[in-house]
Order: sequence, then structure tokens, then C-alpha cells
Amino acid sequence: MNDSPAAAIEFVNVTYRINGNRTLISDLNLSIHRGETLMLLGRSGSGKTTTLKLINRLLAQSEGHVFVDGRSTSEWDVIQLRRHIGYAIQEAGLFPHYTVEDNVALVPRLERWDVARIAVRVREVLQLVGLPCDEFSRRYPDELSGGQRQRVGLARALAADPQILLMDEPFGALDPITRAELQHEFLELKKSLSKTIVFVTHDVAEALMLGDRIALMDSGKLKGIFSPAEFLRSKDEAVEPYVTAFRATQQILNSGA
Amino acid sequence: MSLPGFFVAHKHEVLTLMGEHLWLVGVSMLLAVAIGVPLGILLSRRPALKSLILGTNNIMQTIPSLALFGLLLPVPWIGARADRLAILALTLYALLPVVRNTYTGIAGVDAPVREAAIGMGLTSRQLLWHVELPLASNVIVAGIRTATVITVGVATIAAAIGAGGLGEFIFRGLAMVDNNVILAGAIPAALMALCADFVLGLIQRSLVRRPARTHH
Amino acid sequence: MDRRSFLSGLALLLTGCMPKSSALTVGSKNFTEQLVLGELLAQYLSRCTSVPIDRRFYLAGTYICHQALLAGRIDTYVEYTGTALVAILKEKPVSDHAAVFNTVKDLYSRRFGLEVFPSLGFNNTFAMVMRGNDARRLRLKTLSEAAAVSSQLRLGVGYEFLERPDGYKGLAAKYGFKFAGAPRVMDLGLLYRALQNRQVDIVAGSNTDGLIAALDLVVLEDDQHYFPPYDAVPIVRRETLDRHPEVAAALQKLSGRISAEDMRRMNYAVDGEKKDAALVVKDFLDLKPSLS
Repeated sequence: MNDSPAAAIEFVNVTYRINGNRTLISDLNLSIHRGETLMLLGRSGSGKTTTLKLINRLLAQSEGHVFVDGRSTSEWDVIQLRRHIGYAIQEAGLFPHYTVEDNVALVPRLERWDVARIAVRVREVLQLVGLPCDEFSRRYPDELSGGQRQRVGLARALAADPQILLMDEPFGALDPITRAELQHEFLELKKSLSKTIVFVTHDVAEALMLGDRIALMDSGKLKGIFSPAEFLRSKDEAVEPYVTAFRATQQILNSGA
Repeated sequence: MSLPGFFVAHKHEVLTLMGEHLWLVGVSMLLAVAIGVPLGILLSRRPALKSLILGTNNIMQTIPSLALFGLLLPVPWIGARADRLAILALTLYALLPVVRNTYTGIAGVDAPVREAAIGMGLTSRQLLWHVELPLASNVIVAGIRTATVITVGVATIAAAIGAGGLGEFIFRGLAMVDNNVILAGAIPAALMALCADFVLGLIQRSLVRRPARTHH
Repeated sequence: MDRRSFLSGLALLLTGCMPKSSALTVGSKNFTEQLVLGELLAQYLSRCTSVPIDRRFYLAGTYICHQALLAGRIDTYVEYTGTALVAILKEKPVSDHAAVFNTVKDLYSRRFGLEVFPSLGFNNTFAMVMRGNDARRLRLKTLSEAAAVSSQLRLGVGYEFLERPDGYKGLAAKYGFKFAGAPRVMDLGLLYRALQNRQVDIVAGSNTDGLIAALDLVVLEDDQHYFPPYDAVPIVRRETLDRHPEVAAALQKLSGRISAEDMRRMNYAVDGEKKDAALVVKDFLDLKPSLS
């Protein structure tokens, strides 16, 4: 069971193997505090997305336990677990045959909210992500830009007002300007919502900017958990390449401008 | 006698045979869809069954239609009545396009869409109803369209075993060496196939809201 | 919702009742005698009842006619008792006319719900037919006599005769025929032409073929009574008789009114003189006032 009452999500000795012998996550122990934004940072293949998917049982661990709100994920009814958690992915995965409104309203409808409540919530949540309802609610995904689609994806994840939000490189496929816009708005959003957010990224700048804490992963192992300031100061050999790369970029930018 | 003249003189018979033909095609297609779509859905859930189900269907389709009719004749109850036999054989022929297209349509749903849906907490049935079937509907109807056109054609052979339909004109005309009679069967059959193709094409087009752009 | 109700309406339309017209449909197989008999039934019933009559002729064989009758695509057609016994009921061939008729009538009623009416008056048995010249030269009058010289004769048959249990195989076994080469199989309509052109020497034709007299052909006597009787009987669906009871009375009156001679003459008029079958039948009925 959980040690601290503030742990929204907890990994205890979690190992994940596929095909019997390929280990993607080994012996993961991680505690995510309620209300914090935790960045899962790592290179491709480090296991960060896999870790994320263990939280909402899209994948099931081979060994160990994952606790959400104090209960093991294998005890949760998996549908309830997923409805309890917002999920936003890089490609957004909007239903192409549904309008923006239908996309956002789907889970509330499945949860049988009454019609008036749903309408209010859709308006609310589209406002939150910066898409005026009147203009956007009846549009279809293929009429939206990449950035707009990501906003809808986020709105959809927030629609049923879950306590936990999982985000898998949501801004990864966007152009730099749009990405910066959305990152900025995300920061603002963080302040008004008090949600536990687990955010996967390979971009160290993004991790430093958006996270309360950064969990560094490499080859399926957790290398360490740092606050952004600790991360930049760290002499840990796993952290160094990131910091070096980060500072190098900064230098080029500083000298160029 | 000119061909149009023939049609006018025998319009009652032409209509009767067309009605019989429509009946054979209609019942078989309804059965094929009622069995084939669920089968395709099952396949999408259990891909392990793919080689068994699609393989069996393939074998059915490979057997020449007349041979299949002949093979089913001695079967009790089925073989006792030509229309039963014809409908069974026609249904078997129509199954493959329907099953295969249902499976392909569902499997062809964009991976991110499926992942997002499952991650959102849609049950398997909700996934099917809200996401997979609507997005696959275009492909499924295309399969039904193919199957219908095939069925209209194979149904003309059903007359050879006494199931009635437009094939009766064709076989009769061949025996009498009378072109008018042959065409009296062949033309309505061809028109029926074209009509079915057209109507189902309209339905198919109306199911696609607009061409989907890939999201990248 | 609109789409769904449209589709279900369409489904209902397809599976829904195909309205059966009140007309009575007369069927026939696809050779001359059957066309004549079909016309006969059709015109006769038109004359003595007020039931509207439809025709569905040229059905491609015994099996297809039977299926059409069972399915209600036709209401009646003329079958031959021997064919019904062996090909449809799959019983063993029997020589006695009355026994065959009774068995057929009984089993058709019990197994299929079909009513068999008394014979029209002639027996269209299989006839082994030879060119008149050959028969006279070889002094052949019976099939037993022909068996002795069968190795000199080439046989021509139709598809049904070759395959049916009461056809070629039984005949060859009974009389000990050993014809020259394999039987040549062809369309019924071509048998006599092949005989005339000396492509074959003996054919399995029918007793009532019109061309027999016209082409100076001879029918060999079935002295060992191999062929079962093939009395021509009208067969009708019970539902049809329930709907139109006057048809039963009319068909009873038709019993025994058509002789083999009548049949041969009508067949020849169509086959030999190329007259229209409907016209030939009309003339025939006009000459028999008792049948109107």
C-alpha cells in the first residue's frame, strides 16, 4: 500500500517485459505526488511512454504493482480506471467522424451526465484550452490546424474532470511557434487546475519549463528525480549529457542574437 | 420480333422472373450481412482466427458456382428445395467480401484514434459502436456492394438447378437458340447488377462525411 | 436514424411477401410434346373455367419442373407416371400401369401435397426407334430380336435416358444389348435427325414422337416389358385446387380424352410441319366440342 497519503500514483518494484525476455522497464520505484506535474524525461526507447501506459493499464506490468489513488491497478475496474484518468497523446487521436463538440463530450455522455451539464462543461473546457465554443464546436478535426487539434485533445482529456492527467509528448509534432504557445498556455492552465499530471517528453527545455519534478529515465531504469534547479546543478552522469546539450543550445542562441 | 417488342409481349414473365431473382439476391445478401459483419468483427477481436475464417471463405469462393450447387444437392433438407439450396450457395459466395471488408475496415482504423479511445475508457462494445464501425462503414459497404454484384450474377446460374430467376430465360434461350429470349434474361440481370452497384455506391458515398486527411 | 429506418424498410421489402397472383400458372418441360401438353392444359382450363392462366414453359427438365411445382412457381404440369415413380420418387420401376399410377398418386399426395389426376389417355413410353429400311432388311420387330444384332447398331440417346435408372443401363442389362461403341448423347430434338443422317442406327425416342410416321421410322416392341408405363398425368398443387375447385372437375373430365394417335399428330404438326403449338392445340380443341 502507499506510504504517503499525498501519493496519487505509485510504482513499486515494477518490471515490464515483452515476448518473455525483452525487458522495457526494470525494477521501477516511483512516487508521484498529488497535484504535482511530473515530467518523464528520456531518449527514445528509455521506457518513458511504457511507464505512462502502465498507469492507465494500456499495458500491464510483468512484476510489481502500480497504485493509483491508493488502489492497485489490477484491482481497479479497468474502464473506471481509464475514465478516472485523462489521456492526451502526440497525434491527438481525435475521432475524425465526430465534431469537436462530440469528441469532447463523448466520455461525459458515456458516463450519462445530463445534457445540460454536458453542454456547460464542453463550453467550459473549450474555453480553458483557448478555443471559443461558438467558432469551433461544430468543426471537424480535419478542419483544424495541428495546434488546434492538440487543444481539442487536451479538452477531451479534461472533459470528465479527472484528477489525473497523462500526456504523451503532446506538443512533439507541432511547429516551434505553436509549441511555445501551447507550452505557455499549459503553464497558465496548471495554475488554475489542481491536477496530478504525468508528462512524457524527450525535450529537456520542455521538462525544465513545465515540470515540478523531472524523472530521468534511461534504458528502462529510473536514473533519478530532480527539481528543475537540482537537475541543472546535478553532477549525475546520467544528467550531464542533457544539461550540456541544453547549455550548448542556450549559448548558440545567446551568441547569435 | 424485335427485342423491345419481345419485352413488351412478355412483360409479365419478365417481371415475374425479375421478382424471383430479387428474392434470391435479397435473402442471400441479408443473410450474408447478418452473418458476415459479426464474423468480421469477431476476426478483428481475435486475429488468430484469421487464417481459419478467411481461408474457409476463400475455399468457398474458389469452388465454381455450378459445382457448389451440385455438391449441395444431396444434402438433406437443403437439397430438397432448389431455392433453399440456391440461397445457401449464394450466401456462401457473398460472405467473403463482406467478412474480409469488415475485418479490413475495422483493422484500418488509425492507430492513434484507437489508442485514444481505449485510453479514454471506452469498453470494447463502445469502441465498436462509436469508433470502429462508423469509421469502417465505408469499407464495409464497399464489401457489401461487391458481394451484391457477385450474387446477382451467380443467381442467374441458380436457374440451372430449378431455383427460378432470370437465368431461366438465358437457359431457355440457349436451348431454343433464340437471342431475344437469352437477352430477356441477360439484360435485366445486367441492369440489376448495375443498379445495385449504383445504389450501394450512393450509400457508400453518403457514409463518408468528407475525405479524411491524415494528421501529421 | 433516417439512414437506419431506410435500410430496415428496404430489408422488409425484400423479405416481405411476394404477392401471389390469383392466376394459375401452367408449366412444361422443354420438348415439343410437353409444350403441346402445356398449351393443352392452359387453353383447356381457359375454356372451361374463369381462372386467369399464366404460362411458364421450357423448364429445363423433370427436376426443375418438380422444384417449380413445390415452390409454387407453377401450379400444374403434365408428368409421366414412370418418370414420377423412378426419377422423382426414386422407387423401383414396375410394369403394371395401375400399380404405378396408384403408387405415384399416393406418394405425391403424402410427400409433396400434390394431386395426381387420371391419365390423359396415352402412354408416352420410351420407344427404341430404327430406320424403316433397316428394320425391314434385318427383319426386326421386337427388342429381343434387335439384341441379337446389337453389335452392328450404333445407339443415340438423350441425357435423361442415359442417366435415369429406368433408362439405358436397365435396358441393356435386360435385353443383353451390346451396342457398337459408347452411346452417343445428344439433345432430344436432334435424335431423329441423327438417325435420318445415319449417324446412329437406333435411338431411344418416345412412343408419341411425331416424326416416327413422317420419316418412315419403326418402333421396336418392348416384348419383355422392360419400360415402365409413362402415362401422361396432370399434377396440381393442393393449394391451387383449394383456391380454384372448378379446376379439379375440369381435369377429371379430361381423363382418357387424348390418344397416342392424337399426340403423334399434334407433335408432328409442330415438329414436322413447323406449325405454332398454340395454334395446333387450338385446332385440336375446336374439333372436340365435348372438351369445351
